[in-house]
Amino acid sequence: MSKVAGRTDWAEEEDEDIGIPPPQITKNKDGTETIVTYHIREDGKKVKTTRRIKKTVIKQVVNPRVAERKQWAKFGNEKGKAAGPQTDTTSVAENIVFRPMANWKASADDKSEHEKKKAAVKDAKIKCRICSGDHWTTKCPFKDTMAPEGADTPADLGLDDAEPAGGLGAGGSSYVPPHLRKGGAGSGERMGGKYERDDLATLRVTNVSEFAEEGDLRDMFSRFGHVTRVFLAKDRETQRAKGFAFVSFADRADAAKACEKMDGYGFGHLILRVEFARKST
Amino acid sequence: MRPILLSGHERALTQVKYSRDGDIIFSVSKDHVICAWFSINGERLGTYHGHQGALWTVDVDPSTTLLASGGADNTIRLWEVKTGRLLKTWDFPTAIKRVEFSPDGRRLLGVTEKRMGYLGTIVVFDIILEVDADQTNEPSLRIECTESKATVAGFSYVGKYIIAGHEDGTVSQYDAKTAEQYLNLTVHEPDIPITDLQWSADRTYFITASKDKTAKLVSAVDLEVLKTYVTDTPLNSAAITPVKDFVILGGGQAAMDVTTTSARQGKFEARFYHKIFEEEIGRVRGHFGPLNYVAVHPEGTGYCSGGEDGYVRVHHFDKAYFDFLYEVEREQAKI
Repeated sequence: MSKVAGRTDWAEEEDEDIGIPPPQITKNKDGTETIVTYHIREDGKKVKTTRRIKKTVIKQVVNPRVAERKQWAKFGNEKGKAAGPQTDTTSVAENIVFRPMANWKASADDKSEHEKKKAAVKDAKIKCRICSGDHWTTKCPFKDTMAPEGADTPADLGLDDAEPAGGLGAGGSSYVPPHLRKGGAGSGERMGGKYERDDLATLRVTNVSEFAEEGDLRDMFSRFGHVTRVFLAKDRETQRAKGFAFVSFADRADAAKACEKMDGYGFGHLILRVEFARKST
Repeated sequence: MRPILLSGHERALTQVKYSRDGDIIFSVSKDHVICAWFSINGERLGTYHGHQGALWTVDVDPSTTLLASGGADNTIRLWEVKTGRLLKTWDFPTAIKRVEFSPDGRRLLGVTEKRMGYLGTIVVFDIILEVDADQTNEPSLRIECTESKATVAGFSYVGKYIIAGHEDGTVSQYDAKTAEQYLNLTVHEPDIPITDLQWSADRTYFITASKDKTAKLVSAVDLEVLKTYVTDTPLNSAAITPVKDFVILGGGQAAMDVTTTSARQGKFEARFYHKIFEEEIGRVRGHFGPLNYVAVHPEGTGYCSGGEDGYVRVHHFDKAYFDFLYEVEREQAKI
């Protein structure tokens, strides 16, 4: 029991003897090895490290001078350390693809140009309808003091139900049909609207979850054929889906198939209802 | 290509060097310690302790027995490569910016800083290539740079000339035996310092890097500018690759300017140019600070770079590097 005698703190003793299981090395079928090691961190927590490695032996013929130097004993800070790279000083960085190519500069320029365009499109998407700033209308700092652009009715008139789309145009007193009113052009409940669209291959999808995105719908419906348009009605204030959408197919047969398959399909927590869109009046 | 990341230094790297056989990499940094690494797997062979200040430069003799280093503690020190033992210390009044062995290893050149009333000088010591030999105390040659201090220097083929790059953008050619100055030509933009000078394999021409954002390939015989490589960033280092006709340039916005410049992205990369067509053919990213030095494996199989970020990155080229040829080169190969 000389070990115990040399150490006064019995708790620490136990930690070292029982706390750290010996490293386990398991050989896998595919030639790799799984090494499980344990160590205790500075804050006293036990850490289990599982490494899966594949060993490849690469034989290399080198100059005898080089071979001799490889056998030199380590010195300085490395003195007494085991052969092979030490993890504290040597690591392998992420893979870098390096393919030299003629006129590299030109190709690199093209790419950046393309990315610039992409960024420009992305930026253009967000535009405040109140102050034309690059933020969402709901986040606008002037939303309580200013009316949306083009709407004559000030916000403080108490016409809470008059959405920007419903507001009268700048034209004055004469009646303006809803689809010609300002603000209605951006988005909203436009069913066909002023555009003459071929609605023969368009499906009306209702009972859509309010968390749905156009992308989700496109993914679901493009299984049946080429989808030309997905329109998901969104609430102007909250940007959440209003619960219905239109999906246009290039081919009516695809649309018919999608209508049959997707009617009653469970999406999110709701069951979709899919039917052919009726020609808007 | 998976680079090996060497993180043995605590401060910015200043120089990295391959041994003649390319098996060991020596690195020096501002943290006073020299490290030796096996290039094949990044294993650290050892460290050399003794310097009292930031290190600026290191070089190893062709037989990989002696190692020379110089730094801000105003000394050049000679080490035994194998054991890390300090063999000799030469004291100077100012810092040492560059050391280099002659091609036969029998002479050692040192470039001293201009400071505190002392002129910048280039000194040459005769070296006995044995570990236990009693090395000389006095330099066999001393060149004073009265016009503009030398920043880099090296021996040309068979140690015939000493070529020095200066702070004012000029390159001079001295006789390596008599110290007589034969030529002094403005190679780079006037008054912009030359930051590096590295030799081709046969030492008949060299490449210089400068803060003027260009690197130039210069003949050692008449200092004629053979090629110019134009970049968009101040350069700290340039190297010539054997096997393939490429050059590697390293640089980046100076560390002190990084916070004041917006266009920092894409500057901390090793740039590969075709040596003959002077055209950029690719970049290797990885460092997150300027590259202070790039060194090429003497057999052209890889390169390593030391950065202001304190890391050395060792790269072994893959097949795509060796396969790359220009259309005209491919045509030539067919004939």
